[in-house]
Amino acid sequence: MPSIEQPQQRQFNPYSENGGTILAIAGADFSVIAGDTRQSEGYSIQTRYAPKVFRLTDRAVLAVNGFAADGNMFVKKVRQRLEWYRHAHAKDMPLRAIARLIQTMLYARRFFPFYVYNILGGIEEDGTGAVYSFDPVGSYEREACRAAGAAQSLVQPFLDNQIYFKNQLPAPGTSHPAHLPLSTVLSLVIDSFTSATERHIEVGDGLEIYIVFSKGSTSLQGLASVRGLQEVTTTDDGERVFVIRRELKKD
Amino acid sequence: MASSIHSGPGFDFSNEIRNNFMAEKGLPLPKATSTGTTIVGCLFKDGIVLGADTRATEGPIVADKNCEKIHYITESIRCCGAGTAADTEFTTALISSNMELHALSTGRKPRVVTAMTMLKQMLFRYQGHIGAALVLGGVDATGPHLFTIHPHGSTDKLPYVTMGSGSLAAMAVFESAWRPDMDRESALTLVKSAISAGIFNDLGSGSNVDACIITASSTEMLRNVEMPNERVQKERDYKFRRGTTAWAKESVRDLVVSETVQWVGGEAMDTT
Amino acid sequence: MFLTRSEYDRGVNTFSPEGRLFQVEYAIEAIKLGSTTVGIRTPEGVVLGVEKRVQSPLLESSSIEKIMEIDAHLGCAMSGLTADARTMIDHARVTAQNHAFTYDERIKVESVTQAVCDLALRFGESVHDEDAMMSRPFGVALLIAGIDELGPQLYHTDPSGTFVRYDAKAIGSGSEAAQSELQDKWHKQITLQEAQILTLRVLKQVMEEKLDQHNVQLAQVTPTKGFEILDETRLQEVIEAM
Repeated sequence: MPSIEQPQQRQFNPYSENGGTILAIAGADFSVIAGDTRQSEGYSIQTRYAPKVFRLTDRAVLAVNGFAADGNMFVKKVRQRLEWYRHAHAKDMPLRAIARLIQTMLYARRFFPFYVYNILGGIEEDGTGAVYSFDPVGSYEREACRAAGAAQSLVQPFLDNQIYFKNQLPAPGTSHPAHLPLSTVLSLVIDSFTSATERHIEVGDGLEIYIVFSKGSTSLQGLASVRGLQEVTTTDDGERVFVIRRELKKD
Repeated sequence: MASSIHSGPGFDFSNEIRNNFMAEKGLPLPKATSTGTTIVGCLFKDGIVLGADTRATEGPIVADKNCEKIHYITESIRCCGAGTAADTEFTTALISSNMELHALSTGRKPRVVTAMTMLKQMLFRYQGHIGAALVLGGVDATGPHLFTIHPHGSTDKLPYVTMGSGSLAAMAVFESAWRPDMDRESALTLVKSAISAGIFNDLGSGSNVDACIITASSTEMLRNVEMPNERVQKERDYKFRRGTTAWAKESVRDLVVSETVQWVGGEAMDTT
Repeated sequence: MFLTRSEYDRGVNTFSPEGRLFQVEYAIEAIKLGSTTVGIRTPEGVVLGVEKRVQSPLLESSSIEKIMEIDAHLGCAMSGLTADARTMIDHARVTAQNHAFTYDERIKVESVTQAVCDLALRFGESVHDEDAMMSRPFGVALLIAGIDELGPQLYHTDPSGTFVRYDAKAIGSGSEAAQSELQDKWHKQITLQEAQILTLRVLKQVMEEKLDQHNVQLAQVTPTKGFEILDETRLQEVIEAM
């Protein structure tokens, strides 16, 4: 028995990290938001189907990655705020307003953060495709593309090269396109995830790709030959939302 | 300085103090490749079946999608390794060497217990710093034997064993379906499903199934006996146009050097 | 305890047997003592006009503030107990700023009007132990003018917390005559300049003194310039054009 009582410190860590990866790419008049469906802790798979991408409105889709419990609660709270907004202002919240709202919600928890990386994709008021990415305490930025989560370090450099054409000279007399067509974007998204699945142990099982089209988008034709497509639009405002579900390797 | 000139036998610990100091200052040692791993072994009517997955990891990254974890000890003794890849590879190779020398000096086929003893003595000597977790199996003059050897040197002798991060998934399969005196075919099937359980349910394990069937008369190494995780076809072709990479300057140097030789001596040298 | 009929107008949150809240009704009456205030909506923007009662030649007419800015796209004119309007406009300003901060967009005219009206009935919110924040209803009516994605809009609020959208509205002492004049003259295609002139004409009709650039004030909200109070030079121009 110790003669002198020593000070003792105890700690409780309320956070966990549940793997997985999300990414979003903005087109001229559409936006693609995707995530794998594996949820893991350490070396264990908790579930092979836990969605990380959520349709908020017919023009906004939110992907959340990091600590799953915080992510789910955060989406729940964003949805609640969207409904309150709808009741107070008699309209769906515009995309940039959702982006700002997410910042204020995240920053409100500056000293007990939601352990979540958010990527918001959708259609802006002017009909352009948009992607907003956030850090856990609310710093945000509008971008053309963004990957986050476990395999961010694998996927983002690939997107930088293929979307922003980093380290690629254009053919003489040509220039790189500012926006890629839907079919190319979808291929890049699928290849990003199959590749991340190959080399990252926390990525796999399933893939969900949401596509949001602006009113009268011509890119809709690019969906004609896509396997496993489902429309999830809820209003007839003009914007349309689709989801593609695919299998990923399960090892 | 002496250490850089003269290299004595065994491990070199000369950087130990420096490395610990650096780790303390926030520069930890580079992560070693670990074989996250599911490895198993089971006894059947005629011998031993060993099994392993083929994924090697560095943290959450897959370092090797098709590595070999069933190592050669002798013709009729093999050893599956989990843990630090370098340790399992080096340790089994060293013991394999010593077993060969032992066989030559005794003039007899070496026994599984001999390999087990050599392994556990080596691992115990290094107090767990050699991160090798092994499943050792083989058939010798005294019959089939199956052991597990833990990094600190403790061993078990059991009819069915699993190790590595996927050991629980694999053991669940063994506990529900292993029977004494199974035939070769069902033992192999059982090992394959035990490894598969690891591959699909443990993130540290993946890719393919390797198996090795050892009987008194033969050893069969079944490399990639199952390949349930073939890579899918990419959607796009990522070939780059010639001229894609920018360069700052260009200089071409001729590797073929020509020179004119002028004869200045008097008469030719006497070469008689 | 038995309450005589006349006692129902004492408590601010007691209905009379006929279902009336006398204090609220009295507050509405108080507005009719205020100076006349006019608002007109046009397709080009909204015009607000007020009469400033200059009770003494020693009074600095520029210190009478009856039209105030809520946000860059929102303005407000008042009639009645104008001191009460301060509380309401403060609340409207905070609400508008808060909305811009939280949503990175301009608040809708209806939403800011709703926010102001939410305040109007707070006088009933005293629970026995707590101190009541408001002891009586507001004695002021507002005309809130603004532009949002639904175009130029004009809202009227009263002490009961009711708000209604108008094409043209007059409040205050001369409101009855002014309203019928507005009803007569307002049409769908009215221009902003016509609305300015109509505002002044209506005010002129109901004012006792002769209208000049010192005893009236004009403001407008337009898509390009947002809310602005017309300075005396511009006011003079409108008066001349009248």
